Amino acid sequence: MVNRNDTDPIGPLSAQQPLPSQEAQPSPPPRRREGLLGIRRLLHASLLLISLVVLFLFPRFVESPYALHIMILLLLNTIMGTSWNILGGYTGQYSIGHAAYFGVGAYVTMVLMQSRQIPPWVGVWPGVALVIVIALVIGSICFRLRGPYFVLASIGVAEIMRLSAMNLNQLTNGAEGILATEVPALTIGGKLITDFNSKTPFYYASLVLTIVTILIAFLVMRSKLGYCFQAIREDQDAAHSLGINPTFYKNVALIISAIFTGIAGGFYAVYIGFVDPNTVMSLDISVQIVLTCIIGGIGTLYGPLIGSIVIVPIAEALRSNFFADVIFQTGLVSQDSGVGVFLKENLAHAHALIYGILVVVVIMFMPEGVIGFQRKLLRKRPA
Amino acid sequence: MAILELKNVSKSFGGLVANSDVSFDVEQGMIVGLIGPNGAGKTTLFNCITGYYPPTRGEIVLSGRRINGLQPDKICKLGMARTWQKVRPLTNLTVLENVMIGAMCHTNSVKVARERARQQLHLVKMEERSDFRAGGLPIGERKKLEMARVLATGPKLLLLDEVMGGLNPAESDDIIQRILGIKQSGITQVVIEHDMKAIMRISDRVVVLNSGEKLAEGTPAEVVSNQLVIDAYLGKPMSDTYYV
Repeated sequence: MVNRNDTDPIGPLSAQQPLPSQEAQPSPPPRRREGLLGIRRLLHASLLLISLVVLFLFPRFVESPYALHIMILLLLNTIMGTSWNILGGYTGQYSIGHAAYFGVGAYVTMVLMQSRQIPPWVGVWPGVALVIVIALVIGSICFRLRGPYFVLASIGVAEIMRLSAMNLNQLTNGAEGILATEVPALTIGGKLITDFNSKTPFYYASLVLTIVTILIAFLVMRSKLGYCFQAIREDQDAAHSLGINPTFYKNVALIISAIFTGIAGGFYAVYIGFVDPNTVMSLDISVQIVLTCIIGGIGTLYGPLIGSIVIVPIAEALRSNFFADVIFQTGLVSQDSGVGVFLKENLAHAHALIYGILVVVVIMFMPEGVIGFQRKLLRKRPA
Repeated sequence: MAILELKNVSKSFGGLVANSDVSFDVEQGMIVGLIGPNGAGKTTLFNCITGYYPPTRGEIVLSGRRINGLQPDKICKLGMARTWQKVRPLTNLTVLENVMIGAMCHTNSVKVARERARQQLHLVKMEERSDFRAGGLPIGERKKLEMARVLATGPKLLLLDEVMGGLNPAESDDIIQRILGIKQSGITQVVIEHDMKAIMRISDRVVVLNSGEKLAEGTPAEVVSNQLVIDAYLGKPMSDTYYV
């Protein structure tokens, strides 16, 4: 894969023809992308290994349930971002309606668990099946449109799903939502593996899911599918003329991305223990997914992970009024002043404002996201 | 048997008639030059026959099979491929990846595609550029890239739309050599060009379009001495210097 943030050093000047005396000389070469050879590959692999070890040992050293909670949300966000990236970053279809798949996965898993005591690791699969059907329906509507029109349509259909969930009371309990009573313990062949009364099993489950999702994204991108996806993103009509059926591949990308988003939804439902249309099908979720990828680096493998590392702690810190506390503690603003009171009451709800500022900053200074920025930094070293 | 038969192909966009009753055959292995003033309907004809949009009337027959209304990807898989008048590289992918995507028309293996891509890049002398971002290439190399990419799809019939547009004489010569090499390997070609010197050098037959209609058809010599063609397109009789 090539460095995406190449500012074309040749640009329009490349249209100039060399002087006749220089005709034998090739024009200065365009940016060369860095391959992963030798040392770099080793470095990459060791980093990966160390990170995995740290992640697996994390609950042994950190006992705070709150820390585990943040990690679980971070991992879930990574799953959602990585799977969105397959459709968005790689295929170039920027859906802002992925909450639809998240919500369907959440609801089916929850409903099956509550009404029929089906354990979530079984119940999530009918959820996935339904997610696939819905993805195909949504795709058949939205893929007729391109670019920003597709984006708008994706928002529209997700909102339709949310409103349907609000109103189909028989199915979803409407705005009241569904509360989980108990998550069954995981037993294999009669032997108890784990119960789900603490956060630790959820942590490991989400970690495994994240690894699987990233692995699948990696394999997809290296395969013919990945190349076809990217061709469609770059120039759909050119790809079409080269033997690629855009509708087919767009739907494949959509289905892959919807499946993992739906699984994440099912997991979220069981972990949080409560679903309602405004928490699992809201536009907020769709937006957060896209933001994660923009900040981390659209179209990169680890972009969504980095983006989650940035976004999730900030979102949680806002929710728990952490920033307000810091501001008061450092004495920047007094708790009793007008500003102080205002901050205390409203900063927690400012996540949308903070997101907006983040997006502006990223677009202005790091349009290719953190990963793109890091690549750019590395390339500025003398050759 | 003719590899491509066009029978009364017509294309209108609402009231605008872009092609009107265009008929000619392309025999296997030859190079047909397609010339005419800008706006004559040459690119529209290419778009019709490659499935970008269906013709309003008429038949398009590829190797004996009627292909009206088939999708472009299907037509590419059937062996007819085209390049674009305004080059369309897949900008953010590397040169090699661009050509690999062409090669994937007939294989599902990334490895095989990569090998075929390298071969095609070798034939246009662009292997050292393999890892460069396609968007950063100058126009001459973009055109070569587009040719390598379209040849990687393994076509029997290749439609080239002004591949020499915007190139200097050395680059044009490179392309001409490549076209002749392609002919050697048995691939049939239809070439839209304004460069008459090139057309004379490479074409076995020439078809002239004007205002959507076929004006003339014949050997290059016949066509350039056709008074109608001279009036509509060439401007003045071609002197001997055009014959290379």
